[in-house]
Amino acid sequence: MGSDDSYNFVFKVVLIGESGVGKSNLLSRFTKNEFNHDSRTTIGVEFSTRTVQLDNYTIKAQIWDTAGLERYRAITSAYYRGAVGALLVYDISKHLTYESAERWLKELYDHADPHIVVMLVGNKRDLDTLRTVPMEEAKDFAEKKGLMYMETSALDSTNVEAAFNEVLTAIHTKVASREVTRGSISAVTLSNPIGPTSEAQEGRGGCCKSA
Amino acid sequence: MAKIDNGRQSSDTTSIRTVSSSRIDDESSLGSDSEINGFASDRQTDKYGFIGGAQQYSEASSQDVPTEVLRQREVKWLDMLNHWDKWMIKRFDKVRLRSQKGIPPALRGRAWLYLSGGKVKREQNQGKFQELDSQPGEPKWVDVIEKDLHRQFPFHEMFVSRGGHGQQDLFRVLKAYTVYRPEEGYCQAQAPIAAVLLMHMPAEDAFWGLVQICEKYLPGYYSPGLEAIQLDGEILFALLRRVSPLAFRHLEKHKIDPILYMTEWFMCAFSRTLPWASVLRVWDMFLCDGVKIIFRVGLVLLKCMLGTREKLKACQGQYETMELLRAIEPRYMQEGYLVREILEVPVTARDVEREHHTQLKRWKKNRGELNFKPPPRMHGARLIMLAEPPRRQDLQQNPTIVLEVPPPTPQLKKGKGERKSKKKRSMKKSPPIVEIPNPYPLARDSTPPPPPSDPPAPPPVMDETPEIMPQTETVSPLQQQAPPSDLPPAKESPLQQSSQSLSSTEQDTYL
Repeated sequence: MGSDDSYNFVFKVVLIGESGVGKSNLLSRFTKNEFNHDSRTTIGVEFSTRTVQLDNYTIKAQIWDTAGLERYRAITSAYYRGAVGALLVYDISKHLTYESAERWLKELYDHADPHIVVMLVGNKRDLDTLRTVPMEEAKDFAEKKGLMYMETSALDSTNVEAAFNEVLTAIHTKVASREVTRGSISAVTLSNPIGPTSEAQEGRGGCCKSA
Repeated sequence: MAKIDNGRQSSDTTSIRTVSSSRIDDESSLGSDSEINGFASDRQTDKYGFIGGAQQYSEASSQDVPTEVLRQREVKWLDMLNHWDKWMIKRFDKVRLRSQKGIPPALRGRAWLYLSGGKVKREQNQGKFQELDSQPGEPKWVDVIEKDLHRQFPFHEMFVSRGGHGQQDLFRVLKAYTVYRPEEGYCQAQAPIAAVLLMHMPAEDAFWGLVQICEKYLPGYYSPGLEAIQLDGEILFALLRRVSPLAFRHLEKHKIDPILYMTEWFMCAFSRTLPWASVLRVWDMFLCDGVKIIFRVGLVLLKCMLGTREKLKACQGQYETMELLRAIEPRYMQEGYLVREILEVPVTARDVEREHHTQLKRWKKNRGELNFKPPPRMHGARLIMLAEPPRRQDLQQNPTIVLEVPPPTPQLKKGKGERKSKKKRSMKKSPPIVEIPNPYPLARDSTPPPPPSDPPAPPPVMDETPEIMPQTETVSPLQQQAPPSDLPPAKESPLQQSSQSLSSTEQDTYL
């Protein structure tokens, strides 16, 4: 069930990228501070929440983690619905996982809100000795595509907090400046996806608390 | 030294070691990878081989069967396995009832292989697995499979060590499938299916079991496009309307696509969701009766978690509902409770087929033709057998370990086995079995259940013979092979009576 804290916003963020790049461990590192070398393959969807403070706002981040294997893309459109942020993850030691970033991006824009905040994330930074994706190359690519960019390590925690927080901040900025359309603001929360106004979503208590 | 003959151990110890399978051993973990790698000394495995994780054995999640009952069941299952075709054709209701009660752990692997038709497939394709196994496989599949090997049941002793026997076999089975069906390749959800099979049988058997599940039980689930699983999501949702209108309306209102909550349930046949005792019971029934069992489990879980107004009041959004369905209360997944609930869901194979038809029509209207046309779904062991009638020799049991037995011809061995089992039965029968009070009597049992016990008996299990194909048409090829019997199928043939006196009386009312 949801957390007891009250919050100002709920942001749905999806983790996408090839199988085995560390999406599930980024999720567990950020929401539970856990890392597992032998975490189970993700079949279907996993998700977790964490509440963070940004300026004076309390943000509840709902992170959805999806299966990376190509075959599952047929069913991932349902996961993108309502997402306002995405971390497109690749493995810095496996160039192929980076090469598919473009395809993932297309997939994302096909199904998600056009204003979605996207960060390209090079994970497994701890494997620097095995690196096959130069940082500059990825950075250039991100810039060209208008994506944020960061390298992380779910294993040793490097930049995990920073990556998520930057994405959440960027989403918040967009929402606060009303840069996004009314339609996408309503997607900010999943508690009541059918036509609520942004005002209705602000300053609410925990959505699933009845008492 | 214990004498083992065709699955029977002369000294009745705590477990019967089956000889057709090398891994069935629910009591001991000797020689497992975890011990070889020096893990086990400080880590206790449970009786299923788990050293941790949420699916591990717990008294609360399972329902133990007294040893005497288990011994009786073993005798009955050995007898069924010895005369498999007759039981499947003439007494399938009994096979079903006994699968519902739970297959004895010592014989589970063998029974699964027989039920699924994997045994027949293996016999009819001798040398095929070795051939597939010797091929390197397509690099793109090999890469993905290798990445997944250490991510299947990491808390099970068989799969705990990197590169250990379990992971090696898992690789062999999955890679063999990609060579066997290059157009299908590998889909991640096949790994847990293969792993569950490998916990119960050697690699070759597990391979044929996987083939049967992918092609007969759940055709199309793992194919490119994943259309079959999406279609089944719609079918599940439509069936829910009848089983729990409240849950249905809630999911509808919050626009929760079935694919969001049922993908892992169905693609893995609940092997990653339920406590282990329940996984095994669900698989016993699933391999006997087919996919309707998977639908029923899904319906039970949805109904339990979302079936009352009170529960819905506490979960007001899509995400909250999803969270609820990811954290199913243990009491609903408890072995005994879950099995009883599954048996009560009024959803038959015919219902599934009817809804399949409706949803397929809708799909074609909205999305066009299916890109990948899977073979027709087989609803259970009997239909699988009737569709591809086995030869007599396909059903013969081929023990791989025979100790202290002079090399007899197969027939001789069989005769001996029967005599032995008769002796065993008489031993069991002479002191009449003390009535063990059964908290969960089955109404269909032929013996009156013990004195009324606390929980009320569930309504009679629905007789589902109507959903089975007309016997007379399809049975014939097998009947030709079977020795002639003048008795109507409802009664036992003289042969059965002679060797199955105990099997016909159900003293065991544990569900």
